[in-house]
Amino acid sequence: MDGCSRNGEISPKLLHLIPQGRRNWFHDDNTSVYNTEEKKLELKLGPPGEDEDEDGASITRHIKKEPKDKSILSLAGNHFSPSSTTNKTTSQKRTAPGPVVGWPPVRSFRKNLANGSSSKLGNESSSNGGLLKNQKCEDDNGRGKPMEPKRQQGGMFVKINMYGVPIGRKVDLNAHNSYEQLSFTVDKLFRGLLAAQRESSSSGEEEKPITGLLDGNGEYTLTYEDNEGDKMLVGDVPWHMFASSVKRLRVIKSSEISSALTYGNGKQEKMRS
Amino acid sequence: ALAAREKKKEEEEEMNYFPDEVIEHVFDFVTSHKDRNAISLVCKSWFKIERYSRQRVFIGNCYAVNPVRLLRRFPCLKSLTLKGKPHFADFNLVPHEWGGFVQPWIEALARSRVGLEELRLKRMVVTDESLELLSRSFSSFKSLVLVSCEGFTTDGLASIAANCRHLRDLDLQENEIDDHRGQWLSCFPDTCTTLVTLNFACLEGETNLVALERLVARSPNLKSLKLNRAVPLDALARLMACAPQIVDLGVGSYENDPDSESYLKLEAAIKKCTSLRSLSGFLEAAPHCLSAFHPICHNLTSLNLSYAAEINGSHLIKLIQHCKKLQRLWILDSIGDKGLVVVASTCKELQELRVFPSDLLGVGNTAVTEEGLVAISAGCPKLHSILYFCQQMTNAALITVAKNCPNFVRFRLCILEPNKPDHLTSQPLDEGFGAIVQACKNLRRLSLSGLLTDQIFLYIGMFATELEMLSIAFAGDTDKGMLYVLNGCKKMRKLEIRDSPFGDTALLADVNKYETMRSLWMSSCEVTLGGCKRLAQKAPWLNVEIIDENDNNRMEQNGHEESQKVDKLYLYRTVVGTRTDAPPFVSIL
Repeated sequence: MDGCSRNGEISPKLLHLIPQGRRNWFHDDNTSVYNTEEKKLELKLGPPGEDEDEDGASITRHIKKEPKDKSILSLAGNHFSPSSTTNKTTSQKRTAPGPVVGWPPVRSFRKNLANGSSSKLGNESSSNGGLLKNQKCEDDNGRGKPMEPKRQQGGMFVKINMYGVPIGRKVDLNAHNSYEQLSFTVDKLFRGLLAAQRESSSSGEEEKPITGLLDGNGEYTLTYEDNEGDKMLVGDVPWHMFASSVKRLRVIKSSEISSALTYGNGKQEKMRS
Repeated sequence: ALAAREKKKEEEEEMNYFPDEVIEHVFDFVTSHKDRNAISLVCKSWFKIERYSRQRVFIGNCYAVNPVRLLRRFPCLKSLTLKGKPHFADFNLVPHEWGGFVQPWIEALARSRVGLEELRLKRMVVTDESLELLSRSFSSFKSLVLVSCEGFTTDGLASIAANCRHLRDLDLQENEIDDHRGQWLSCFPDTCTTLVTLNFACLEGETNLVALERLVARSPNLKSLKLNRAVPLDALARLMACAPQIVDLGVGSYENDPDSESYLKLEAAIKKCTSLRSLSGFLEAAPHCLSAFHPICHNLTSLNLSYAAEINGSHLIKLIQHCKKLQRLWILDSIGDKGLVVVASTCKELQELRVFPSDLLGVGNTAVTEEGLVAISAGCPKLHSILYFCQQMTNAALITVAKNCPNFVRFRLCILEPNKPDHLTSQPLDEGFGAIVQACKNLRRLSLSGLLTDQIFLYIGMFATELEMLSIAFAGDTDKGMLYVLNGCKKMRKLEIRDSPFGDTALLADVNKYETMRSLWMSSCEVTLGGCKRLAQKAPWLNVEIIDENDNNRMEQNGHEESQKVDKLYLYRTVVGTRTDAPPFVSIL
């Protein structure tokens, strides 16, 4: 190979099965290539460009061969395959970009922003919801947040806010099968936060469970916005229908139901412009 | 011999045409670290005068030197800046426990009773213990700036708040802080009225709003206030109302739908903030609230909307159209090429632009492309710094950008897909980046991406004479690439390389080069353990660190083969030898 192979692995699938420490045997195949490469590269330390004339041809050769070599190279390791605009016979095509550790070079909290994840207080299921991370690196040095290598297809996160609580949360609808489960989750997510907000105004540390979200009997009621921007009460349609159309959840005061649902719809129109 | 010595003494005295105090006074006007380092090298007498008068010290790599030597040379130190982990730690390439602990520094400074007033740390591990010790040891301590640090909690902040009587700045930028629920703000005593900067935007937990409002109300000098996401709209309105002198504001969150009364109050408060020049935050903002800020936009010189994932392009554009004096803009790529065209026609004073990716799943949304970049370069004549994340690029566009903007000092382009070629011609982007380095004679920092061969490095070696920091990822073909850079860039200080086929030949070609640099990082390249060992032997003044998270037994003991590729190599010059705080997975050769 003209360019040195990056990691020497054969295919990404094998890569994942073989732990880093045991990959030595790959390198035996490469040592002979490597030595020839080293001999070719006996360079003087002159100013750059001195070797131009001799190697001019080989540089062009490198460039021309580039796409094909790159395609072989990209099979190895954690790279993306090159985009489908260049013709690759041997490259593996992937429909979505695969994960590369530490790429793109953005800080963790920006990745979370981009995937729509809100605070580090945690989501209902602790999944990053976006890029898969290389388990080896992220689990050991995840920056403060445990990120399990969970596939994004598995999680469907919607934002949920509650009246009187400044911090929003997220709920993974795919982890729920019924309205009851959802109601239970809402209680779990907000009970503590709500109590904390009340602490500042009144003394006492009671954490009241949040109940009656679905039947209008509780102090709070669960509502949602669907994919058309309309605001609805949760619980009217079969679960799977709800889950496929819900975009966002909101816990409102039961006393505000009528105004929230009518006023809300108009405002939603404006916000969506 | 005597005559020679006398002559030398005469010469020295000639150097000091003025008495020491006068020279010291002149030195007071020399403030940049580079310049001060330079004057200290002129002669012994100047070295001595300089070191006793030096108040601000910058240490770019905390392992290059140690506290003892620092204090020996600069006993009158008042301000210290320390940087710890290498830059790629920002992208999770450096394990948590690698190092960069500030504790030994604070301990030493405390013991020496130096009159420390300011401490600025970047990528260091800070503990509550360190913060407590800091807060108790320096009676004149005024300013704490922590950037990308970790390891502490709000309890540490409480110590700072409680014990630093003259605290002026508490500036927490993008740190990982364990939030123990917001009582640290109440630890500022009622007598504390000296705050100028209060930035806690990176705290994730709830905030004691009452304590915060009281603190802001009794801080007449407060110029910079950056709130975290737990500060709702009505609290923001109240805060702005008691701090109309604010210059730099970080808005928390508008997650609550504001009732109209809160919004009106906010509008009224904003109108009074005539000194406001810099706006940031909007962590979760309802777009319609942005319009409350329109009245002060014409004064803004700095705008950071890069956390505002909720705001779509059109609202961003509406805001930016009012910002004619903007010099610095950080934004998400949801603004789109169209939005960048608006920026180009509105913000004629723009000097720095950063466009961050908003959709990292990457499929589909081509939010910004080479067109946006070209538009900016054409419309903003003062642009000198850019960080641009995009889905695609062409050589032609980069060549145009280079022609339009030969003044770049920092040029960082990140094409999201590694190895992606020019999307029109399928060629590598060597020519495009080459045009940039050729035209931009003052280029000090460069980050490359896309499909690149050795050719770009030839160009960099030839043209980038002022280049100090270079970031390389998935680029190059052979060791020649790296050699071009090492040979050609005389001012190189920080070189960081990942996933590129550079190996031992390049690494070992010119060992002395690394003495002129701060550090070199190479991960997933072709360097071998044997090569690194040879380097360490040849250059005892370097710390050659091999980082391998899967190997807790230190490589030498396991008898690893010399030809094994090194996963992560980090080397740096140092005058204090091997560090003693390295974790088991770091081998220092």
